[in-house]
Amino acid sequence: MRRLEASGLNAWFGAKQVLREVNASADTGAVTAIIGPSGCGKSTLLRCLNRMHEEVRGARVSGKVLFDGQDIYASDTDPVEIRRRIGMVFQRANPFPTMSVLDNAVAGLKLGGRLSRSELQERGQRALEQAGLWEEVKDRLGEPGARLSGGQQQRLCIARALAVEPEVLLMDEPASALDPASTLRIEQLIHELKERYTVIIVTHNMQQAARVSDWTLFMLYGEVVEFGPTQKMFTRPDDKRTEDYVTGRFG
Amino acid sequence: MQETRQKFHDELASMEEEVLSLGELAERAVGRSTDALAHRDDELARQVIAADDAIDSLYLDLERRILGLLATQTPVASDLRLVSAIMHINLHLERIGDMAVNIAKMSIAVRDLPGSATVVSHLQEMSDVVRPMIRLSLEAFARRDLELCLRLPQMDDPVDRLNMGMYKEVAALSADPDRLDWGLRMNVVARQLERVGDHAVDIAEQVGFLLTGEFREFTDASHPVQAVQPTDAD
Repeated sequence: MRRLEASGLNAWFGAKQVLREVNASADTGAVTAIIGPSGCGKSTLLRCLNRMHEEVRGARVSGKVLFDGQDIYASDTDPVEIRRRIGMVFQRANPFPTMSVLDNAVAGLKLGGRLSRSELQERGQRALEQAGLWEEVKDRLGEPGARLSGGQQQRLCIARALAVEPEVLLMDEPASALDPASTLRIEQLIHELKERYTVIIVTHNMQQAARVSDWTLFMLYGEVVEFGPTQKMFTRPDDKRTEDYVTGRFG
Repeated sequence: MQETRQKFHDELASMEEEVLSLGELAERAVGRSTDALAHRDDELARQVIAADDAIDSLYLDLERRILGLLATQTPVASDLRLVSAIMHINLHLERIGDMAVNIAKMSIAVRDLPGSATVVSHLQEMSDVVRPMIRLSLEAFARRDLELCLRLPQMDDPVDRLNMGMYKEVAALSADPDRLDWGLRMNVVARQLERVGDHAVDIAEQVGFLLTGEFREFTDASHPVQAVQPTDAD
């Protein structure tokens, strides 16, 4: 089922246009990867999908992003609520360093409302379980989040994003700062998460895109060059520019 | 435009050259084995058998290099299709080399038996068709030419007909036990040549896959009526 759909999307930083007439979509139960060279606009596209782009001074957007058919840029839409329903995980693991592991996991919940301690404990455990971290930290819930390894910190950030029960998860280079074993752990987690969430991932690592995604979108100079099933994109892409990029004939 | 994987692409190009060299050796082996048979030339037959070591050596070298590329370079898109095509073509050519060896061995085995000029001429005819088929399939590969690929199934038709007719030709020799003994072995030779033709068609199918990204059999033994024919659309 179509969950998220960008239609004629343009984005600017001041006078500089960084996205041009982007059309793209993401379905329920599928992972969509966005690939392309540095500066092509893939992270900007991701940040437009939950209204994070507009948080940068001078940034603006035109066009539509439909979430379950509703335009998230409509004037009566609350961007905070959109960001709760469309969560985000960033390149660098950024747990709150002095907060405990459990408090990190439920940080978003604490901001959003009044839950009892037992409810927070329960939701935190569920999020940590979904992020594949519970077994590793269940005896360290009171320790500062910064004491976890890099891979564990990133999964803690994923748990924090999941705890507020989003419907879509946007991931911006979630494994680029991790060692190979932690990277594979994150990739396995993405496979598991797609059963419940619509996942969109930006990655520089083309093989990671090939491994984790069902759909791949290739961008160049702020435009979508090709969008198709991942297997097709990596075996017989339609566009010569996609072919050149994935085979390394374009740098 | 900037080439970012020059070493990898150089290795791919080098492997392609090597598989084409292997093709020349395999095609020559088929021609020399049928010459040895037609002229009862034991020395030539032994040369064919000895020369198969070079074919096997190239085959193994390519296998090793293909595995190395798959393990270390994760080829994708047209690179992946090229690696896959080279891997299959390599195996087909090695098998063609083995068939030439089988024919050469048969040639030595029947040296002292009486034969039939008609049967020999039909075997030579088959050889004269399958060798150009090998060359054409490899030319299609080197030139990335889909139209050439699609010519292969039709070229294979007379080979199949001659092979099927061989049974009757051999049966006609049954009055003389020695001649029949010779003929039964020639039936095996015909079968080898027919298989060489099939391998050439298979190579062309691999080239078709390389060029289109879609694999399809040009001929389908289990559904002969649905066999793919060249069309204007192709």
